[in-house]
Amino acid sequence: MSEALLAQEVGTAPAAVPASGARQFWRRLRAQRSAVVAASVVAFLVLVALAAPLLTALEGQDPNTFHPSLVDSAAGGVPLGSFGGISAEHWLGVEPQTGRDLFARIVYGARVSLGVAVFATLLQVFLGVVIGLAAGLGNRAVDQVLSRITDVNVAMPLMVIALALLAVVPPEFPRPVLIALVVGLINWAGTSKIVRAQTLALKSLDYVSAARLSGWGKWKIAHREMLPSLAAPVITYAALLVPQNITVEAALSFLGVGIKPPTPSWGQMLTDADVWYQAAPSYLLIPAALLFVTVLALTVLGEGVRTALDPRSQSRLGGVRRGLLSRRKGGAQ
Amino acid sequence: MTGFLLRRLGGAVFVLLSLSVFLYLVFYVAPGNVAQIACGPRCSPAQVAQVHEQLRLGDPLWLQYAHFVQGIFAGRDYSSGVGVLHCNAPCLGVSYQSDQQVTQLILNKLPVTGSLVIGAFALWLLLGVGTGVLSVWRRGRPTERVLTWLTLAGTATPVFVIGLLLIIVFCSTLQWLPFPTYVPFGENPEQWAWNLLLAWVSLAAIESAKYARLTRSSMLETLAEDHVRTFRAYGVSERALVGRHALRGAVAPVIALSALDFGSMFGGAVLTESLFGLPGLGRELVEAVKVVDLPVVVGMVLVTGFFVVLANAVADLLYAVADRRVVLS
Amino acid sequence: MPRTVISRRVAVVAASVALATAATACAGPQGDNAASASGAGGKAGAPQKGGTLQILNRQPQTDFDPARLYTSGGGNVPSLVFRTLTTRNRENGAAGTKVVPDLATDLGKPSKDATVWTYTLKDGLKYEDGTAITSADIKYGIERSFAAELSGGAPYLRDWLIGGADYQGPYKDKKGLDSIEVPDAKTIVFHLNKPEGEFPYLATQTQTTPVPKAKDTGAKYEEHPVSSGPYKVVKNENDGEKLLLERNPHWDAKTDEERKAYPDKIEVNSGLDPAVINQRLSASAGTDAAAVTTDNNLGPAELAKVAGDKKLADRVGTGHFGYTNYLAFNPKVKPFDDPKVRQAIAYAVDRSSVINAAGGSSLALPATTNLPPQKSFGYVKYDHFPAGESGNAAKAKELLKEAGHEKGLTITLTHSNAKDRETSPEIATALQDALKKAGITLELKGLEENDYNDTIHSVKKQPGFFLAHWGADWPSGGPFLAPLFDGRQIVKDGANFNYAQFDDASVNKEIDEINKLTDLDAAAARWGALDKKIGEQALTVPLFHPVYKRLYGKDVKNIVISDWTGVLDVSQVAVK
Repeated sequence: MSEALLAQEVGTAPAAVPASGARQFWRRLRAQRSAVVAASVVAFLVLVALAAPLLTALEGQDPNTFHPSLVDSAAGGVPLGSFGGISAEHWLGVEPQTGRDLFARIVYGARVSLGVAVFATLLQVFLGVVIGLAAGLGNRAVDQVLSRITDVNVAMPLMVIALALLAVVPPEFPRPVLIALVVGLINWAGTSKIVRAQTLALKSLDYVSAARLSGWGKWKIAHREMLPSLAAPVITYAALLVPQNITVEAALSFLGVGIKPPTPSWGQMLTDADVWYQAAPSYLLIPAALLFVTVLALTVLGEGVRTALDPRSQSRLGGVRRGLLSRRKGGAQ
Repeated sequence: MTGFLLRRLGGAVFVLLSLSVFLYLVFYVAPGNVAQIACGPRCSPAQVAQVHEQLRLGDPLWLQYAHFVQGIFAGRDYSSGVGVLHCNAPCLGVSYQSDQQVTQLILNKLPVTGSLVIGAFALWLLLGVGTGVLSVWRRGRPTERVLTWLTLAGTATPVFVIGLLLIIVFCSTLQWLPFPTYVPFGENPEQWAWNLLLAWVSLAAIESAKYARLTRSSMLETLAEDHVRTFRAYGVSERALVGRHALRGAVAPVIALSALDFGSMFGGAVLTESLFGLPGLGRELVEAVKVVDLPVVVGMVLVTGFFVVLANAVADLLYAVADRRVVLS
Repeated sequence: MPRTVISRRVAVVAASVALATAATACAGPQGDNAASASGAGGKAGAPQKGGTLQILNRQPQTDFDPARLYTSGGGNVPSLVFRTLTTRNRENGAAGTKVVPDLATDLGKPSKDATVWTYTLKDGLKYEDGTAITSADIKYGIERSFAAELSGGAPYLRDWLIGGADYQGPYKDKKGLDSIEVPDAKTIVFHLNKPEGEFPYLATQTQTTPVPKAKDTGAKYEEHPVSSGPYKVVKNENDGEKLLLERNPHWDAKTDEERKAYPDKIEVNSGLDPAVINQRLSASAGTDAAAVTTDNNLGPAELAKVAGDKKLADRVGTGHFGYTNYLAFNPKVKPFDDPKVRQAIAYAVDRSSVINAAGGSSLALPATTNLPPQKSFGYVKYDHFPAGESGNAAKAKELLKEAGHEKGLTITLTHSNAKDRETSPEIATALQDALKKAGITLELKGLEENDYNDTIHSVKKQPGFFLAHWGADWPSGGPFLAPLFDGRQIVKDGANFNYAQFDDASVNKEIDEINKLTDLDAAAARWGALDKKIGEQALTVPLFHPVYKRLYGKDVKNIVISDWTGVLDVSQVAVK
């Protein structure tokens, strides 16, 4: 079953032990330095996004005002000054052609990009868990139907569907919400596959069988026994989905169906910036670096969460390390 | 086994049917006056009506769909003006915009996308698995961290940025490689490879992080298993443990996952195809959506969907072969 | 994540409605100081025959059927294969806006009222297979452009020829079109339903290319069209993506003063990424040293790079095509029924920021007139609502107050989501920023390309205020002003381009009067005056005229860029 593989990709074999209490989880998460750093970075980004109006007020700029005097119109609108026009007024310089403040656009862009990505991810996770659980716990017919629907979902080329759907919905509909909806509705198959595989594996485990024997209903089992065990793989996978969804938003921008101007987003900035690489490198490098930091932080955090939720993997790692150490010692002798 | 194949075949038919019905429905409500686009912007209402009739756009939706299905099994005739042309079964229709037969169009594009996917696939396996193995071998050391960062940088950078930078550096500045253009393998295998190299690298850069992580976690899992501990206790070298036993544990999941990606890449490498001037399926597909060319869109989605379903089945098969405990369902 | 990968490039596909889309499309300098502005030049030394010219393009030549092509002046690559009754003068700048004979011996003999046009073919004209070109083949070529299977060309033949509106092409109607007579193999006579002094311009379009009936394969003809020009199609792969043209041995230079045809072979590679094309042309390595592009401009980012590199800057050809980007009003929609509101917007527009959004002052010139600033259009400079460089917010506010909007005004601007820097979001946001200063809140309504085209061209759905553009089918005021402002050209049940739905008896009458003139210079002057008059109505706010800058390879010689097309003419370049 390829579903099992996806589960393995996110690093979880069916856990024998359901995740234990929240306190233990936090303790184990805090114990990992990299995870703490990653969590701080993510928290910082979220804060920046939330505080965008404050930050730009502090800088004294806003994301939509044009500054034609700050670009060289005859040279295609390249920012005047060094490093893309970085100055005390414009902390990260200005956008080529328009002269709009890059710092303001970046922090406001974080709102849109992170917001869309997080909302889309939540939707994907919700749909994935519901459909995956239903397939895993349901009878053969239910499983067959849901699995085939999942296959249809996998086989849909995201961009084609997104293009078609975005054209159908009236332009008055708020675009960020729409993008999050479309991405969420089209890309839930990964989560549902993991959840189904995990559910099937758990179903055969002793404590679940015991619960079933003691007369618990399916949804009670799902609620009490399955969901806690699903948390580890789902959260880990979700941490991978967020950055992926940010790049999907960027991808939609290429097709002209992304976030609508003048609203800034990282994806849109990257799209516009790539040809400017030679003339105004900072225009490309700043959003690219931010996206990289975000992806890195989320990945590391995801890994940390997985480790904290699935103590077995930690002991496994520990075991390996011990093995390595002992061998070294042996070598020294 | 036969049961598995039959069930999968049934599943495939279901998937492809649903996809085509879905697309017909969506495009039915989508804006865009197909006849006007096909006719040209300055066509008169009378001319547009003529084209509308010629493309049979006035037929009810179910009838249009019925004709489409009929074409797949029985072929179709259409007018070239001076005469009647025949589109042999399996006929996926005729493009609204270019008068090309969709089946032929797909056959033209398939080798291009195939070339891209196969090479990229080989490369991302090599890079991804290699990085994964190295990071297990060097776990806890700076090498591992650097490798992780590198692969993640690949994931975090959109392919158009990586691709354009590669082209600027290797084709423009250093001039080590030709500016990419598609050379068919049959024409000149060496040029085929040199021209595709950067496209392969760009795709591999994006994909390999996933494989590195998968390889790493599978290997660590194996290393923690009891029999490996036993080997270790018997003094089997760490190198042999990582290289032989642990890697074996990663083979099955990696093969299966790559089969999945392999499938979805057929309709999904649009940006790579555009940037590197590769006239492949993905690029054509998006262009067809833009001009509401329903026959091309449906035909191509069916083909790319077929690859996804096929790869799915192959993945399950391979996984079963690699791991006898798995029962095919 | 293969599913996330897509093409932004696709979005770039020129949406340009109504213009010389397919092959040439482009520009010429400001009328008076024309030739100087063109990037005439190229590698030094006398051009010589031989070598292979490479053409690197974005758009494949998907239409290579003379009936289907919509070109200005016969197109660029198509013009290598298709000769037409008349053609554009292949010279730099303003001289290049002249129409000259091609297959015909002259520009046509009009009847007294310009409703009958008679052409005589030159001697010794042959197809690629050596057979003689006859006037009947030209008649047949025109007739087949009326077939639904081969639609796509400009509307003029349909509108002008007697019986053209109802004719369905030779496949359905074997009898043919009576209004085209061929009394003998060398003569062809056109009967028009009204006087049209600009018929010689129309005769430059590929529809007047001869097509031998015996070789016509209908929709398949484009795979191997029969050549009447200096080159023939040897290879056509992937629906025009790769073309190989070689010399047509039966083309006689003595019959063709316009096409120089220096290279022995021409290879067209298309479907390329725009950024990659410019990288290739700037590197100019290997065969790319002999490369040009006929459809890929330098973008603002690339211009910034070229500006800092003298050697590269020498290899940029600059051209101007008769083209205007503007704000269109539909006065049927409130509050745009009030001229004061339209005028206020005209005053408030900040052209410098719009131009920056369009690519900067090197890629766009400010526009205050509907007609492009070229002599052949009859350009008369006017600026009825002077906004200066960056808008006159005070004057705009004053007008708004007079119109009863002293508290400000909230309006919606419809634009497309295309990435063409013409009707695209970049331009719309620049306007939004400028109008804010005049107390006008501009809400943006961006539509996907198909939706946008449907909406703005439909009388029923047309919004009150939107971004639009127009390019000339030939360098004259006629094909510019008539479709946009002739009340009889309002199309109620199809694609309408008279966005303002402007129907003014005196304007209609003046259009008819000018069309009677066969003296093209006299006509031009009248078009210019008419534009100035129409401009007073504030039915549009002209924004900018684009400038085309394109790189060419190191070995390319004899660069000729006319004001008719604005791009280097591939029939003139040499690579030896």
